[in-house]
Amino acid sequence: MNCRDRSAWGAARLCARLTACACVGLTSLNSTSAADLAGPPAPFRTPYLPAADSEILQEVPSIADPAVADMRALRTAFNASPSSLTAAIHLADAYIDYGRQIGDAHYAGYAEAVIGPWARAPVPPAAALVTQATILQYRHQFNDARDLLQRSVQLNPRDAQAWLTLATLEMVQGNYEKVAQNCAKVASTADVETGLTCVAGLRSYTGRARESLAMLQQVATAAERGSPAYRAWVEGLTAESAERLGDWTLAETHYRSALKLLPHDNFLLVAYADYLLDRARPQEVLPLLAEHAQSDTAFLRLALAQEALHSDQVQRYVWIMAARFEALRLRGSEYFGREESRFALRLQHDPQTALDMGLRNWQMQREPWDARVVLEAALAAKRPQAAMPVLDFLQAARLEDPLIEPLVRELRAEIAASAGASR
Amino acid sequence: MTALASRCGPALAAFASICLAISGGAHAHSASDAYLTVTAERSASGAVRIHGQWDIALRDLDFVLKLDDDGDGRLTWGEVRGHQAAIEQYVYRYLKLDGGSGNRCSIQPARQMIDDHADGAYAALFFEAACPRAARKVTLRYSLFFDIDPSHRGIFVMHDQSAIATALLSPRNAQVDLAF
Repeated sequence: MNCRDRSAWGAARLCARLTACACVGLTSLNSTSAADLAGPPAPFRTPYLPAADSEILQEVPSIADPAVADMRALRTAFNASPSSLTAAIHLADAYIDYGRQIGDAHYAGYAEAVIGPWARAPVPPAAALVTQATILQYRHQFNDARDLLQRSVQLNPRDAQAWLTLATLEMVQGNYEKVAQNCAKVASTADVETGLTCVAGLRSYTGRARESLAMLQQVATAAERGSPAYRAWVEGLTAESAERLGDWTLAETHYRSALKLLPHDNFLLVAYADYLLDRARPQEVLPLLAEHAQSDTAFLRLALAQEALHSDQVQRYVWIMAARFEALRLRGSEYFGREESRFALRLQHDPQTALDMGLRNWQMQREPWDARVVLEAALAAKRPQAAMPVLDFLQAARLEDPLIEPLVRELRAEIAASAGASR
Repeated sequence: MTALASRCGPALAAFASICLAISGGAHAHSASDAYLTVTAERSASGAVRIHGQWDIALRDLDFVLKLDDDGDGRLTWGEVRGHQAAIEQYVYRYLKLDGGSGNRCSIQPARQMIDDHADGAYAALFFEAACPRAARKVTLRYSLFFDIDPSHRGIFVMHDQSAIATALLSPRNAQVDLAF
């Protein structure tokens, strides 16, 4: 397909190839470019008029959901007093929490519209900076988020939420010394339990998962007084620490407890789905995520489960997933390196692309899954040397993980063998 | 899954008030996009006619216009159809075509249909635009949803004879010049 940048289009920034285009209804586009569109045809109709008024077209947040009713009430309060910082923060936080829970980035945008003017003020309130930073972090604009959080703690060094958000950010990026410093600030500005939970998360990434479990056990009793979200946080971390130690039964117990507390939480659902895929239980992923297909991260797990089950639906899932990633690219997003790498490796069987995506993602995110996608792709692509930055990082961090350790050994052996052969 | 927490609630005075959610390395759903596709035609006199298709997510329209009349979380064709006039009135405020001084092009909404995209169902709004006088350049100004969601993006595609060009419309890049 031609995609010509024309000089007259001064304001236009993007000239993207529209292969596997997400705008599936554009018949004229399809007709001029059919030869360029690889893979099976779009599994969608061209624009249509539904046959009956009763046809359901789209699921949307229901007013019957108390969180939706709360957001509407907060919106009314905000509209009534648009100059109230409290009203703005309450509404923005409600949007962020809801969007995170259902896995929908639209709500980060709604929150930004509400809090952005405060965060951009010449003298911004510290709390507005934290909320804005949370939005940026959600979008993986880590450096900008860090700047805002640092400004925020300068303005209000007692803001535990700011320190915790900063700790999260450094954790995602693998800056573990900074995580330890920030967790200490959390402990001194919030409470011992929250500080301990913060540190427990760090321990589970740095070869001390057993300590992490002990700390979380200590916190769990006290956490019973906390909100469901707080308890789910502790439960989810416990599940993750158990996975580091290869205690699959314990991990599952805690994933299930966490999901009992927050049954629709996208991050928990996806983490548990990954657990099930790793345990070769793809058939359980389908009912778990059936109602969450709108979330892209959940959709990828559904596609992986379909593939593992050798379902005849795989091609349809692959097509839709590719179209969703393409839609993200069209809007200039690069949020999904980890997911895209897995997609390329497992569902498109393209290890080179998977490796490139995994390595690019590694520049931004350094959690165990980010390491794993690089290692798996490097093995599949027969480019063990490309995984060196990840191998070095894991060695320094001393990450324990029974699924990652064999990959590390295999890659190191291949690197050693090729060094021996070339000597 | 990320091991640490993120926010929930502005105050953090006491342990019990802390509300934390498990965070994740990647967020889960793409943000709001709309797809604006136009085909341009010139008459011998130089007058420009533009045929457009604007696909806007029903989820986004529901957020601003509350299309789900019975509040059951399922948008039906009947509910969408009942709000078509409101949808039209709302969205066309945020799209302007201008052929230069005193040559504002009028947009005539045509039919509305439904278009399925990879992330859900969209309202497909078809329109025709004509500029009163001949123009070598038409400026398109786009501002749909920017006031309520600055992360919204308009993905603009123009077909002009055999060429296709695209632009990404955002609050910082809200206009594009179409040269003829």
